[in-house]
This record gives sequence, structure tokens and C-alpha cells, in this order.
Amino acid sequence: MKESPTSTSDVTIKELETRGIQVRKIEKEVYEVFIGPQHPGSGHMRIIVRLDGDIIAEADPDIGYVHRTMEKLSEVREWLKPIPLLERMTIIDACNITVPYVNALEKLMDKAPPPRASYLRVLLCEINRVASHLYGFGIFGVFLGHSTAYMWAFGDREVFVELAEILTGARLTHTYPIPGGVRRDMPQDFPEMARRAVKYMRRRLIEYQRIFLDNPVIVKRLEGVGVISKSLAAELGIVGPNIRGSGIKYDVRLIEPYEVYDELEFEIPVYEEGDALARTWVRVEEIKQSLNIIEQAVDWLERHKGELILSKDDYDKLPKLHKEIYEKTGRVKLLPVHASMKIPAGKAVARGEAGRGEIFYYVESDGGTVPYRVRVVTPSARNAIVFKYIVPGHKLMDLPAIYGSIDYFPPESDR
Amino acid sequence: MLETLLYIIAYPPLWQVLIVGFLGSLLIAMIAIWFERKTAARVQRRIGPYWASPKLGGFLNIIADMIRYVLQQVIIPTSVDKTAFILAPVAALIITLLPIVFIPLSPIETFWPIPSMDYSLLVALALTTVPPLLLIVAGWASNNKFAVIGSLRESYIITAYELIAVISILSVSASTSTFNLVSIVEYQAPLKWFIVLNPVAFLAAFLAILMSTSAFPFEIPESEHEVVAGPFTEYSGILYALNMGGAYIRRFIYSILLAIVFLGGWAPYTPPLDSGPLMGIIVPSIIVIIKASIIVLAMSFLRAVYGRYRLDQALEYAWKLFLPLALLGLGWAIIVGFTI
Repeated sequence: MKESPTSTSDVTIKELETRGIQVRKIEKEVYEVFIGPQHPGSGHMRIIVRLDGDIIAEADPDIGYVHRTMEKLSEVREWLKPIPLLERMTIIDACNITVPYVNALEKLMDKAPPPRASYLRVLLCEINRVASHLYGFGIFGVFLGHSTAYMWAFGDREVFVELAEILTGARLTHTYPIPGGVRRDMPQDFPEMARRAVKYMRRRLIEYQRIFLDNPVIVKRLEGVGVISKSLAAELGIVGPNIRGSGIKYDVRLIEPYEVYDELEFEIPVYEEGDALARTWVRVEEIKQSLNIIEQAVDWLERHKGELILSKDDYDKLPKLHKEIYEKTGRVKLLPVHASMKIPAGKAVARGEAGRGEIFYYVESDGGTVPYRVRVVTPSARNAIVFKYIVPGHKLMDLPAIYGSIDYFPPESDR
Repeated sequence: MLETLLYIIAYPPLWQVLIVGFLGSLLIAMIAIWFERKTAARVQRRIGPYWASPKLGGFLNIIADMIRYVLQQVIIPTSVDKTAFILAPVAALIITLLPIVFIPLSPIETFWPIPSMDYSLLVALALTTVPPLLLIVAGWASNNKFAVIGSLRESYIITAYELIAVISILSVSASTSTFNLVSIVEYQAPLKWFIVLNPVAFLAAFLAILMSTSAFPFEIPESEHEVVAGPFTEYSGILYALNMGGAYIRRFIYSILLAIVFLGGWAPYTPPLDSGPLMGIIVPSIIVIIKASIIVLAMSFLRAVYGRYRLDQALEYAWKLFLPLALLGLGWAIIVGFTI
């Protein structure tokens, strides 16, 4: 929805001034630059930037280039099939995206996963979170011209992608959680690999700090750039590391623990500054916390070997052959009945903390074999508005710094 | 026979302009690009160029790239100013190479391309300041918003680094009381190099050249994530290669100047005045080229370590830090001139 340019600018400036943001009224001719969607620094979106000299007078995030009608498509697929569909909106963060959907289904079915399945979900979620943050970190690095950070982060992300592959059989689109459990048990040698990966990543983070985070050029580029004040952050309703970088301790894992997050020990890193550097640090600290969680989850899983990864009644329904396969390989072979299962009529909401922030699902069932409605509110969709409010007043060269620090992921926002 | 052949090779227009100037800078540019990609790859735990020639560390990859650029279709958009669009990169390359004519690679007059070297430092330095202007022309002729923004950034940066480069390189004249590059080299012989006598001026000149050739951390006009490729956005094929290679060739020419002015030229070797073409021009040229290459490669390495500064930060550093540094170098040079 586009308003006419005059009304937009008038309202925006007035609003911005009440928030204490320094803006200039555009009186002379501005230079309109379309950054994206075919641009090395835009991703699948367009930012319409109006330049007054080198200063950005207005920035319009123009999203929707990768809209794939996921909510509508979910309405014509049997209950399980939206899982592989939905995880494609944030393919780098698949488990975090699908766990809340599965939680919503479980609420409708009044079914709870066994603890081992919950721990496995959390384990994969945290592996995904590390990989997803490293992805964002790498893109951020190359936005600032720092190709080493980019290559390192993408190379180290591979460690966690491989870890996910060993756990689930797929690098990115795991389709791991299903209502009532998970699809695969952990391989025997997985804990050892996970511990090695954690140890490796802790060492690498120190090197990241040396070459990137403490690099004088990078610090100079990020300090005080793209400041989101505490009140603005709350008002815009942004989520995830961005709001935690602005000093608000908001994390679904903390305020409404799902799965087994309330049994695990971890901290929610919060920075007060609200600038691009603070947001970057939040992500790095979060990687550290995720590594802690991975260790705890792996320890727990090792102590509780042989427990079911599927809810008891689901397991009992399995035929003998499928039970044998499960005992032998740890894999759950689903019955055809799962594809055409009916879920009792009702409404459920669930939310979870994905890499980029809170993801929210509203699932409604009319008792049929397909969802009546699936509503998704993704973190990137909530963060996109930030561009409009914090980019004006900065120089054009700050745009990649802000864009990268927001860690905006267009396919997630467009769904 | 061999003697004659050597004399033909050492004929100044052939040796200095074609072999050292054109082929030499092309080769050094290729080595610099290869080195940049390879060291960056090593730092970033990759392999870098490899498949074109695994035994040469992928060096032929650069040649393959060049062949691709040459054979690629040159697209000239209808909206550009055609004459300026085509001429700017070509003229920029020619003028980039021109200073080599005024840089002596030997103390022997026979092997100079011009009859007198009296004001060679001034002329060579003056010529190095022209190509960036043609870059602005290229961006303006492209009629593309990103190209125009890139050119504007270039023009801002020119104002900042030109003064630093000129002051810091000319400061040696304050010590030697001459603009004659041969005298400057002779002043430094055998090991009284200006990098030791006046490190401040060398540092300022080095930083100015980093800014001038948009090396990291000052890769601002071509900054990919805001302005795509800056002034070169609309260029393709051989014209793009000229633009892109031009920066490396300029870095090489600047480095030759620095090698002559700060690193003692052909020292520690001094050719006797009656020596033939081999010892008189070819050997000293190679010494100078090696010294220049070291400077070029040092500049290339910075890519792996730094990001890029913001435009205003680069300008701030230039005016507030590097310019005083250059002036300090000038003062230092005057002290050197009086005491040594």
C-alpha cells in the first residue's frame, strides 16, 4: 500500500521529530536511487532511497519480491505437508521456523512430545541459530567490504550445517519435528562431534573478534550508526537480536518457554546502546549461549539413551516392521495415515524464538484433513519497518551497515 | 650481434615505454591481482585461483580472465554519451602510463627517453593526477545514478589525497634541493634511502596512494554494496577491464615513483657511466621494478584485513591526520636537507 508522496513525507517528518530523530525537510530536489532488487547490496527487496547530497532524506523498504503465498498454500495441504513448505521461508533457520507450527498442531491434538524429542528439537534449533547468525554475520561483513569475515563466517557455518545433516539427514530443509516427536534419533557418535564443533566455534569467535569486531575500521563504521532507541524499538515492535541490542530483554525462550527451554541454563544477552555494533555483539553473544545450550542438550541426551522420540500412542500404532526399523536405525517411518490425519476443530497459537526474532503462528482447524487457516507472523516482517525510521539522516554509505546489522531476510518477511 | 640486439631492446621508447611501461605494468598488475586473490584466499582459508594451472598456483586464471574480458561483448547503452564513454577509459590508461616516460631507470643519459631529467619529478607527479579526472568523466558519461554517485565520491577523494601525495613526495626536493630524479637517486646512494631518512613522508605518500587507487580500506568510489561498481557500473568487456586494470597500473606507476624517490631507485647497484645496455639499463630497471612490486603487493594484502571506511571518515582522516603527517614529513625533509 502506497500513500501519496507528500502526505508520507509530512507525516513521517512530524513523527520522527517527536521521537527526537534529526531529520531535514526535503525542500530542494532529491536524488532518488533505487537500491534493489537487482543490486549487490539489497537482497530480494528494494530500498527506495531519496538522497539530499550524501544524506539519506527518506528510505522506503519496498518488500514483497519473493512472496510465495505460503499461508494460502498451507490451506490446501494435509496437516504435515506445510512443515517442509514453511521451513523454506527461512531456509537457513528451518527448525526454529517449524517448531512453533508443530507446537500449535500439538496443542490442537492435545498431544505432548516425549522429553527426548523436545531435547532433540532444541538441539537442532540451537544448531540452526548458530548457523543462521553466522550467515547474517558473513553478509554483514561483506557489506562493510570485509571479505575475510564473510568467508570465515560462511566457512564456519558449514560446521553447523554438517552437524545438522548428521543429525537429520538434510543440510537445510530438515523437516525434523513432527506432531508428537521428531523424525530421527541422534546418531551414536553425534555428542562427540557436537562437542568438538562447540569447542572449535568458541575458539573461532575469539579470532572473529580480533579481525572484525575489534577492527578499528569496522568499529568506526558501526559505532553510533543506526541507533534504535529503547522507546522506538518498543513502539515499532521489532523483535529478536535487534530489540535486545536496544536494551529490551524480550525473548520468547525467556518469557514463554516452549519445549524444554525452561530446563536449560542460558542467558539472554542484552546491550543498551542500540547501534549497529551493539546488534552485532548481541548476535555474537547469542552464538556463545547457543553453544552452551548445545552442550547441555547433548549431555542430557547422552544420559537418557533409549527413550522414545515419538509420543507413546503414536509409537504403539506403528506396525511391527516400522518398529523394527525404528529400533535398528533410530528413524521414524511415518504411516500413510499421518498424511491424511484429521485434527480436531479448534484454534491454537504458538510462538518461538527464531534466529531473527519471535515467530508467531495461528492455526485454525475445522476438523478436516487440511488446515482451515495458517497465519504466520515472521520476525523479518516485523523488523522491515525499521528501515523507514532509522535510515533517514544517515549517509548513503551507512545503508549497508544498517541493513547488515538488522539481519533482514527478505524471503522470511515475504513468506 | 647480441650487443646490437641489446641496444635495440634498450632503445628508450621500446624499453621504457613499451617493455617496462606497458608490458611490465601489465605483468605486475596481473601478479598483483593474483597475489591479492591468493593471499586473501589464504587468510580466508580458501584455495583461491586454482583450476587454470594448479602447478602455477592458478596464475593462468588471471590470463583466462583477461581473455574473457577481451572477447566479451562490449555493451554501450543507448543513454550514454558515447564519445566520452569510450574515450575516458582509453585516455585514462594512456595518461596513467605516461609518467613512466619522465622517470629515469638509469643514471646514464643515453637510456633516458627524454633529453633532460631536470624537472622530471614535477612532471611525473603532475601526470599522475590526471587519470582520476577521466574516471569522473567516465562516470558522468555513463548517465547512471550509481556511476554518478561513484564519480562524485571519487572527486571528493581526489581533493583529499592529491595534496597529501604531492606534498609528501615533493618533500624529498626540500632535502635534495632538486627536482631531478637522477640526482635524487644519487643523493640516496648507496643506502641513505629516504624511507629511513624520512619515514613520515613515506607513510603519508603510501596512504595517499592507497586512497588514490581505491585500495582497502579506502575502496569507496567502487564500493559494491552501495554503488554497484561506482563509475564503472555501465561498463562491460574490454572497457571494464581497462577501468579495473587501470587502478592496478596506476598503483604500479606510483610505486615506481615511490621506489625511485624513497627506496633509493636502482641502489645498491650503481651502473658505471660507460656500461652497456645490459648493466646500464636492464639491470637497474629490474631492481626498481622489484622494489615497486613490493610496495604494490603490500598494498594488495590490506584487502584481507580491513573493511572500508565511510566516505566522510576517509576524508576526515585525510584532512585531519594524513595532511598534517605530510606537512610533518615536509618539515622533517627540510631538517634532513640542512643536517645531512
